[in-house]
Amino acid sequence: MVMLLESNAIPKTAKRKAGTLNRVLMIVLMTACAIWLVVPFTMAVLWSMVDPQTGWEYPDLLPPSLTLLRWAEVWTTTALPQALANSYMLAPTVAVITLILASPTAYCFARFDFPGKGLAQILTLLPLVVPGFVLAIFFSSLIFSLGIYSRFLSILMAHCVLFLPYAIRVMTVAFGQVRQDLIDAARDLGASPLAVFRAAYMPALLPGVLASLIIVFIQSIEEFAIAFIVGAPDFTTIPSILYSYLGYNFIRPNAAVVSLILVVPNVLLMLGLERLLKSANPAQSGVKG
Amino acid sequence: MTLRRGLLILALLTPGLGVILLMIGSVFYVAVMQSVGFYNLTGEDSFSLEHWRKVLDSKQFGRALSYSAYIAVVASIGSVAIAYPIAIWLRRPFRGSLVISALLKAPLFVPGLVASFLFLNVIAYHGIVNQLLMWIGITNAPIRLQNDRGAWGVVFLQLWKNMPFALLLLTGAVQSISDEVLDAARDLGAGGFDRFRKVIAPLTVQAMQASLIIIFIGAAGDFAFQVTAGPTNVQSMAQYMVFLKDSFGRWNQAAAVGLSLMVLALFGSLMLAFTARILSKSGKW
Repeated sequence: MVMLLESNAIPKTAKRKAGTLNRVLMIVLMTACAIWLVVPFTMAVLWSMVDPQTGWEYPDLLPPSLTLLRWAEVWTTTALPQALANSYMLAPTVAVITLILASPTAYCFARFDFPGKGLAQILTLLPLVVPGFVLAIFFSSLIFSLGIYSRFLSILMAHCVLFLPYAIRVMTVAFGQVRQDLIDAARDLGASPLAVFRAAYMPALLPGVLASLIIVFIQSIEEFAIAFIVGAPDFTTIPSILYSYLGYNFIRPNAAVVSLILVVPNVLLMLGLERLLKSANPAQSGVKG
Repeated sequence: MTLRRGLLILALLTPGLGVILLMIGSVFYVAVMQSVGFYNLTGEDSFSLEHWRKVLDSKQFGRALSYSAYIAVVASIGSVAIAYPIAIWLRRPFRGSLVISALLKAPLFVPGLVASFLFLNVIAYHGIVNQLLMWIGITNAPIRLQNDRGAWGVVFLQLWKNMPFALLLLTGAVQSISDEVLDAARDLGAGGFDRFRKVIAPLTVQAMQASLIIIFIGAAGDFAFQVTAGPTNVQSMAQYMVFLKDSFGRWNQAAAVGLSLMVLALFGSLMLAFTARILSKSGKW
């Protein structure tokens, strides 16, 4: 469709020129992207599979032999299984609680008009504008003075607040898409509140609910500042383990294994999210900063 | 508005906005109080400006402040400057444009620490970049690129991670400009740069401001990139704050640094956004 419009509007030579230019730009950019993404990730995969017997040393361009020994070793000798369990227990809990906390506020933003609404919406962005480590350090000092000693609970609370802005934003859009005429029609036909919810609200809300869950889940898995400051030293998550391999004890193959464990599930989830958002409303459902 | 309705709205806002205000408010309160000598984990509480004086007098603080400000300015302006031409190029869909845009945005989904690790691998002493430089013949021996003094590594990582974010916001904004407007500008004889300066920039200034603000705040408060890939002779504000807290538990001084970082993040980003607005509205640059 767009191509057709273009061919009417722009003279042929200009179009051909633009086409060649695009092709050249695309080849340049694809190459850049390969360097930008493919090389770094390939190196991470290779490093995670370096055979400890033979190593990977200069001037070998590729490791002389590959093995999954490192993966087994990291799994059996480090705190990685515990960190994985912690992260994957924390993230879904955060995602669900955040959704529950965000929904009433989102409903209010989407379906009520009141004085000060603009200000209230801006104030929900507060957690995004406070630098993460400032929030982490003084949150940890706050929970000390409150006498809360459960690391899990502390990180859970902090993550919920930190990611509320995303959930509120996504759910506000979702509630805005619920059609008043459908609600009215269901009511006129004598539907109970539950039936109204199922007929008018559910279909419009579902993509938003899933999007909010996925976004918060990913953010929680990746979050480093709070998990590191509040959780250290006994409560480890995947990012804090990765940090320990990047600091004083720089262990490249281990860091490669943990990096991949951290990034791969999230990329898969992100792809799922993208499909979800496309099926809902591509123009409005994006996360606004 | 009836009282009933007002109460309903308040009740609805409490679990979301209320929780945010309560928590951010308390964290801010604790930071302010700690910086003037209260909320001590050990020892007596008493009002004192001594902690602020110590921090403000230290050379390290001045260096950390200007370093973090520098990284934040370069990261935010750099990301927006790189993202604009790409967003304009991707304004109208063409074959492959979706793939390009997905590839470019991929770093958004790579956590900062993983990005650091990937980068450290590539620039390692016997890494692929050094081998390439030697192969081309630019150098005879590998160069030490890690933790470089000029903070080029940190700047590169900031751009790698943040440019996609600016691109995300700017693509949406640039795509919403109608063809008629741009064609009219072209018919009136505006060249490529003039169209950007007088049409595109003013019409997308909100997205530009949002990108500048969010990227500035994130980069000013950076810890992960700085600790893993940054220069070792200077600390970022977040790093300095964590260092004060960890060494001899200087919480009060850490609080003063934390508050200064918040001031830097807030004022720096707002100044930048304000400047962007003035410049793009006046069109005189």
